[in-house]
Amino acid sequence: MPEELKNSMAPAASRVMRSPRDLDLEITARCNLRCRYCYFFNNPAVEYRDLPAGEWLKFFDELGSLGVMKLTLAGGEPFIREDLRELIEGIVRNRMRFSFLSNGVLIDDEIAAFIADTGRCEYVQVSVDGSCAEVHDSCRGPGSFEGAVRGIRTLQRHRISATVRATIHRNNMHDLENIARFLLDELGLPRFGTNSAGYLGACCVNADDLLLNIAERQEAMATLLRLAEKYPNRISASAGPLSEGRAWRRMEEARAHDQPAFHNGGRLTACGCPSSKISVRADGTIVPCNMLNHIALGRINQDSLADVWHNSPALKQLRNRHAIPLAGFAFCADCPYMPYCTGSCPGLAYSIVGQVDHPSPDACLRRFLEEGGTIP
Amino acid sequence: MNNSDKPIANPIVVLREEFDDWAVLFNPDTADAVGTNPVGVAVWKRMDGRRSLGDIVSEIKASFTDTPDAAFEEIASFVNTLAEKGFVGLEADRKAANA
Repeated sequence: MPEELKNSMAPAASRVMRSPRDLDLEITARCNLRCRYCYFFNNPAVEYRDLPAGEWLKFFDELGSLGVMKLTLAGGEPFIREDLRELIEGIVRNRMRFSFLSNGVLIDDEIAAFIADTGRCEYVQVSVDGSCAEVHDSCRGPGSFEGAVRGIRTLQRHRISATVRATIHRNNMHDLENIARFLLDELGLPRFGTNSAGYLGACCVNADDLLLNIAERQEAMATLLRLAEKYPNRISASAGPLSEGRAWRRMEEARAHDQPAFHNGGRLTACGCPSSKISVRADGTIVPCNMLNHIALGRINQDSLADVWHNSPALKQLRNRHAIPLAGFAFCADCPYMPYCTGSCPGLAYSIVGQVDHPSPDACLRRFLEEGGTIP
Repeated sequence: MNNSDKPIANPIVVLREEFDDWAVLFNPDTADAVGTNPVGVAVWKRMDGRRSLGDIVSEIKASFTDTPDAAFEEIASFVNTLAEKGFVGLEADRKAANA
């Protein structure tokens, strides 16, 4: 296009898009498993009921008219819906792509063939938390490992991109090497992601059994950093020990060399989600994010999504969170890492301290060090 | 792409306007996306298989101020890029396909 026009009309970075690009949809509140650290269940703010397919299909028509590009279908367990094909057809009809977050157990040849035929599936992410049934099933229940692996192999057979997320907790932290070998070498996945069980949902009642203590966290961090070197670009993380290990190394190096503040450092900038995506609960409530399920912004098919997206006071407040300086929190007082810190996930902050506009204590490097941790 | 060619937008491609008239053209079948500016959006909206490329350039020149002398070449290049990605076909292609 004409360069003169191209250069003179660049959009300001802080402006809000006309509509969200992506949506995370909890299409069901039902699940075939009861994982001990599931973030979804045991949330008093959530009404656990499913919408009929017609409600979702009507909503997909609205999303299509807004030019939404991609939906991530989660739950609960999305493959538990008997009318899943109907929902997928509605997504395809409205010119969108889709992904799944699943435990893998209910994926069979029939649904995999249907999904493959659409040509619109970006990936199906299956949760695998161990290299064997003994480890994986310890938190997810008997038979879940076998089902997850069967689901992944079914996806691979139908040439659907299968990805894996391993959630790290006390029962599998000594199995990480085996998990990496199993997923990357034995199953032949191109890569997998990691995070860790967090103080959310069902995990809140099992926290003492499952959450890593400081020494365990440090060990998991060291192991994952080593494995990430052994398998270059094949182990990813946006949260959990690997992500923290990488971020904390950079922060410590910056502090030690008195480097300038990081881009967006020193303010609550960690969460960029409200600028490009939004979520819907299984009961049809529009929320900013699955991690902030208590913030009801509206209801699908009753409230215009475009109106919610542009005018919701709660969403505006979240988008303005980046203006809140860490220096204003007693929690951060005199912290040498403040110029390099972004406050981490607001959902986790809310779950731990009851405030969205607060840094998450769980991701605090200074606290980790004060409690005896060291950065590997 | 010639002056008389009549480009037609692939109906599966989504025009997603993001900031003012700035937009992304997105093919959900291939996941290919092309970012474009207001002129590109205006061109896209005119590719209906009835207007020739020459018609489209004339309308663009009438709608935007300070269009450069090389507007035809730049717009033709843009449409060619879209055609290579399967975002655009030619009306002649459709006639040939129907023959």
